[in-house]
Amino acid sequence: MIGSAAYRRLWRPNRYWLAGLLGAAILVVLVLSSVASLALGPVPLRATVFGLPAVAFVAAATALFVRALHHPKPATRGRDLTRAAVLLLIGAFLWLAVLDVYTFTRAAGPRVAALCAIACLPTTAAGLLIIRRLDRNEKEPWLLVLVATVWGAIVSTSLAFWGEALWDLLFATSFIPGPAADASTAYAAGIFEELAKGTAVLLLYLIMRDEFDDVVDGIVYGAAVGIGFNFMESIGYMTHLYAVLAPEGSGVAGAAVQWYWRQVIGLFFGHAAYTAMIGAGIGVARQLPRLRQRVLVIACGFLAAIAAHFAWDAWQALALGGAKSPGVQLLLLHTRYLFMVGPFVAVLLVLLAMGLELEGSALTRHLQAEAANGEDAVRPDEVAVLMSPRQRFRARMAALGRGGPGAYLRLSRLQTAQLSLAMERWHRERREIDEPLEAEEELRQRVLALR
Amino acid sequence: MVDAREDFRPLYRTMLGLGIVAVLILALGFATLLRFAPPGQRTGLRAHVVGVFPYDPEVEQVDGPAMTRFQRDQPFAAQIDWDQLPASMTVAARWYDSLDAEVGVVGPARAADLARMGALVPVRTPPGFHANLPGTYTLFVVRYANGQPVELLGTESVVVLADP
Repeated sequence: MIGSAAYRRLWRPNRYWLAGLLGAAILVVLVLSSVASLALGPVPLRATVFGLPAVAFVAAATALFVRALHHPKPATRGRDLTRAAVLLLIGAFLWLAVLDVYTFTRAAGPRVAALCAIACLPTTAAGLLIIRRLDRNEKEPWLLVLVATVWGAIVSTSLAFWGEALWDLLFATSFIPGPAADASTAYAAGIFEELAKGTAVLLLYLIMRDEFDDVVDGIVYGAAVGIGFNFMESIGYMTHLYAVLAPEGSGVAGAAVQWYWRQVIGLFFGHAAYTAMIGAGIGVARQLPRLRQRVLVIACGFLAAIAAHFAWDAWQALALGGAKSPGVQLLLLHTRYLFMVGPFVAVLLVLLAMGLELEGSALTRHLQAEAANGEDAVRPDEVAVLMSPRQRFRARMAALGRGGPGAYLRLSRLQTAQLSLAMERWHRERREIDEPLEAEEELRQRVLALR
Repeated sequence: MVDAREDFRPLYRTMLGLGIVAVLILALGFATLLRFAPPGQRTGLRAHVVGVFPYDPEVEQVDGPAMTRFQRDQPFAAQIDWDQLPASMTVAARWYDSLDAEVGVVGPARAADLARMGALVPVRTPPGFHANLPGTYTLFVVRYANGQPVELLGTESVVVLADP
């Protein structure tokens, strides 16, 4: 949506203060963890020292990015976006350095870590592409999807790492190896990892309300955060297994097996699904009228993510129980994803279908209304094209054939602006919007300017 | 005016349903925790791990001073002061490697029997491997009741180095 149209007033709604508080709380938790590590010892101090600046870089990049999206001057916007990108890169580099050198891959070495990262890139990119395409009516901006992914990979992993390290310190030695210890570890993973990832989605909901429209967007952003987290975790597990098995000559095979489970089979049946449930809760809350309902539905999303993650970590080994034949074991190794995460993914798909249906009918209705008002922002023959991803694509390709890449981009921007206008109308109709009425008119003028 | 066809109740109810299922799963997890780590089993006793020593599998004896780091091809075993535990107490000790695989076990047996045998807890190289895998190895000394491990009496960790 057009930032200057959506945020013309200088004041900021309460949700910005909430987001600020949440951001400050994240920083406080990380600082406290760092201080605690000095006193408690077993938490790696070096990870604290080098990990904290990485988090600060990402936080600063996020702030610059948000400012850029809402700044009216294109020159300032461009400068802020460049700075945000550079800071993100530095943050990513720092965190990767921490992860590779100190936390997981010291034994495997930076070369192996880099190779593991390269191996995970295509699958992660494919996952993001598929997730974004699910939002067939109004796709989310790539930049925002990537910010969510990077946040999941860098900040969420850092937060979860600290939480789980402290949990281990306090509770791990109290439990006997076996089901009790497995349950304890699974609680820690479920609670800390999902809270760490969910915080990213919650911040997007609070800060980027104009790009966080409904349950569909929630699922997309949630899954993007989860895919980012999964990327970093995959590298960690791959390098760990490589380091352990390399002396026996099976390091590459061990890393490859981890890659297969985490980047192929588990790409959508793991972190992406868990965090998508948090996103679904927040997305549904976005369109509910009462605060009590919103809080309840967000809590349900978090609980569902924690429970699904817990169930997998605590009980997935049970799915293999009793199987002796290698063939049956191999089959069970695969089908356990369907048994244990499959039901949650199925519910997510149902939520997605319901969300797309609601969104689709609302956008069609508002595009038709806009076409009927005679202001030419949307023409009657454009409604069917705008509501079909395939027809939109065909129209853009036709524009490419007629006028080259410039025409393609112009039509792409026009279609995006038209759908944003319809979305704005829908939110205004439902009284879900805190921008002034002029914002809608500015969006309309923007569409007309793009024609 | 809001369109009458827009009914958000199915979305809301589906999320509430997910929340209820989640609470049930987490409660089941808590029940698992209580089942396998039942409260009220704490005796306050601690098992004294004398140390982890280089081990000679031929004669099944430890040899040399206690160490915290071992080479991959260097067998090692933990020595536990079983005498310090009540004679009738059923106990076991297990080693786990950095992949959480069990790589050595003694017991469960009465502490008096283990003391009489002078039972050591050696790490066994997993079948198919030439030497111990590198990483942290952790020893858990556990008390049993009614055939089930119920209390952690002590732990000890050593590191197996990657390079021989």
